[in-house]
Amino acid sequence: MANRAVARDAVFALRREIARIEGTLPQRLETPAEAGDAARLGIGVAGFDKLLGGGLAMAALTEIHGHETRDSGAVSGFALALAGLLLSQAKEPGPVLWVGMSEVFREAGFPHAAGAQVLSGLSPERLLFAEAPKLADALWVAEEAIPLQRLAAVVVEVRGNPEKLDLTATRRLHRRAQAAGRPVLLLRQAAQAETTAAPVRLVVSPAPSGSRRTLAGPLEDSIGRPAFTVSVDKCPAALPGLFTLEWNCDERLFTERANPQIGAANPVAVVSLSGCGKGSAPAAGQVVAFRKKDASAAGAQPAPEQRDADRGPRRTG
Amino acid sequence: MTQIGALDARAEALGLKRNMGLADARAMHPSLDVVEADPAGERRLLGQLADWCDRYTPLVALDGEDGLLLDVTGCTSLFGGEKPMLDTMLAQLFEQGFEARAGLASAAGAAWAAARFHGKRIVAPGGEVELLAPLPPQALRLEKPVCTGLDSVGLRSVREIMAAPRAPLARRFGREFLMRLDQALGRIDEAMSPRLPVPELSVERRLAEPVVLTEDIERLIHMLAAALKSDLERRGEGARRLSLSLFRVDGAVSRIAVSTSLALRDPVKVRNLFREKLAAIACDFDAGYGFDLARLAAFSTAPFDMRQTDLAGETDVAEDDLALFADRVRARLGPSAVMRPDRIESHIPERAVALRPFAGKVVEGGRPRAPHPLPPERPQPERPVRLFDRPEPVEVPVTEIPEGPPMRFRWRRALHKVVRAEGPERIAPEWWRSAEDMPERDYYRVEDSEGRRYWLYRLGQHEAGKPPPRWFMHGLFA
Repeated sequence: MANRAVARDAVFALRREIARIEGTLPQRLETPAEAGDAARLGIGVAGFDKLLGGGLAMAALTEIHGHETRDSGAVSGFALALAGLLLSQAKEPGPVLWVGMSEVFREAGFPHAAGAQVLSGLSPERLLFAEAPKLADALWVAEEAIPLQRLAAVVVEVRGNPEKLDLTATRRLHRRAQAAGRPVLLLRQAAQAETTAAPVRLVVSPAPSGSRRTLAGPLEDSIGRPAFTVSVDKCPAALPGLFTLEWNCDERLFTERANPQIGAANPVAVVSLSGCGKGSAPAAGQVVAFRKKDASAAGAQPAPEQRDADRGPRRTG
Repeated sequence: MTQIGALDARAEALGLKRNMGLADARAMHPSLDVVEADPAGERRLLGQLADWCDRYTPLVALDGEDGLLLDVTGCTSLFGGEKPMLDTMLAQLFEQGFEARAGLASAAGAAWAAARFHGKRIVAPGGEVELLAPLPPQALRLEKPVCTGLDSVGLRSVREIMAAPRAPLARRFGREFLMRLDQALGRIDEAMSPRLPVPELSVERRLAEPVVLTEDIERLIHMLAAALKSDLERRGEGARRLSLSLFRVDGAVSRIAVSTSLALRDPVKVRNLFREKLAAIACDFDAGYGFDLARLAAFSTAPFDMRQTDLAGETDVAEDDLALFADRVRARLGPSAVMRPDRIESHIPERAVALRPFAGKVVEGGRPRAPHPLPPERPQPERPVRLFDRPEPVEVPVTEIPEGPPMRFRWRRALHKVVRAEGPERIAPEWWRSAEDMPERDYYRVEDSEGRRYWLYRLGQHEAGKPPPRWFMHGLFA
């Protein structure tokens, strides 16, 4: 615990130093300065909105991750809740286009319009679905759709970490979202964090729901409002955060649930995860085992038995 | 017995005939080259040839096993007259390796006879009698028994038939026989059924030099669409279904069809639609030696509503953009690429939402079609945000209490421990829909130890002496 806090302080000090050298001091660690002029979607939870500089940027690509395919209910529920919030705040609500690969619709189930209506008040007329068998096609559909004025938002759903969904592909989406001023949500089911152009990455996992509230008090063993554990993995302020949000389907607003466990366990990483999840550098001080051959080649001192072998008579043939 | 079905001119010169036994023919000429007949392949070839003949006229019909019937009314002037057209046609077929016989006449029957009994002949209007008179009755497209019957009564040429009194002929050989005669002589009209639908409008362009490059084809589409636009403007319409036919030099025809949600006439938009389609079929699109004729046809048109720009010079283009976007996605990814969900009055979860192709218009405000909308005060039942198209089987240990939700279940090889559960919500099958007796489903909302919420159902009830009911996973809640 203490080590973590110290380490985080050190990281922040370094960041501050880098920011000073780059001459962009206030923006790096505090709320970005341009937050005022860019349109943002406040989700109504003070800590969350403050961390993101006033809410989710409207003209940007936002990544929403889920660890496993079976978390897709929570991930898509969170995305639908955001879409519901967005439409309730919009002056002229348009439809939301949901672009998904056939694979993810098959594995995680098709988004159910009736469920979306119950959850976030999105009527079926406000939803459009596009299904593409290949990632290239899905990205093409999304890129074509982002500039359309009529659409309120574009949701792109992908499963896993396809190679083609790299920095370039996400930057294309992000730039188009910026140009069109349209929120683009990139849902990634069962994916690992990797380097993308999205300024914000949220990892959504389900949280145990509360009980149903009745006039006589909470109802035992009932499943109440849906809850999500949202971890802000990456954001412009570079401060990680972890929130347990409860979605109120009737009022259509998020409330934060005070979760004492989260503070105690402190599972937040000191720094946000680096890009390449597979080949990341080992932590400092970790003992790495080398093979013998490598040790002899790389090490300055050969192993004793090898030295002996060298001294022995050389065999030929 | 193996017979000769068809033979070429050299074999005929050797004295061989159709329907001759193959053994006899081999006995006469041991070095005979024999190829087995392939009726299906021939039919396919004839179909392709008919497609290719589409370049002369849109009305092409198959005529039996070995003929094509082309209605060239009004098309001959495009080729400089009847004779040049026939010459071009035969020359082009010859270049493809076909030895074709052709006849051209005012009546289909006369043309048929001219092609089969003369080889290459143009019959002037009114010249049918002169053409047919010396020919045998077979020239009238008659059934074999009728021909034998005519032969037996001594009527061996059409001239004799025409001279004979009609009433006894009709009585003896049927009305169809006389109908054939009248059709051949052009006295009554004959309907033909074209192989392909006839477009409402079509424009085409012949090219002196074949094109191969996709860019050239796109430019060609733009030119054709511009030509089509003036025709559409004259009619005050826009195209809803367009088809592009590209005729390859070596006889193959590629047809590319696109359909639009809104009536369309802008050449650039038409070209963009075809561009998506060409990109989608790029892998199995073979330009070969190039295309020398391109035709753009509108098979379905709709009134085109002109929009007036307001004073600021803006029109309501947002709606159109969405429709055009949907068209382009459909052109590239297939007709079911953009869908809109539609609520249906059904309790069965997988039937409650139907996906329909997005027609380009966002329906505003509620469901206009639903006769009995749900009363607003009735609470909506809880439904998952993701629904599996086909429910996935779930293993529930048999040691469970028969009633109520499972305590633990195995789904996709992972064991889930149920912490909380709600239900059941019983959904019975719709008796008016399924003929057989389907068991009802008891749906439970369950939450596992990690907070994931699932929608499980049990199919049927526990009954003594029967296997325990099965469980299925149908959806995931937020």
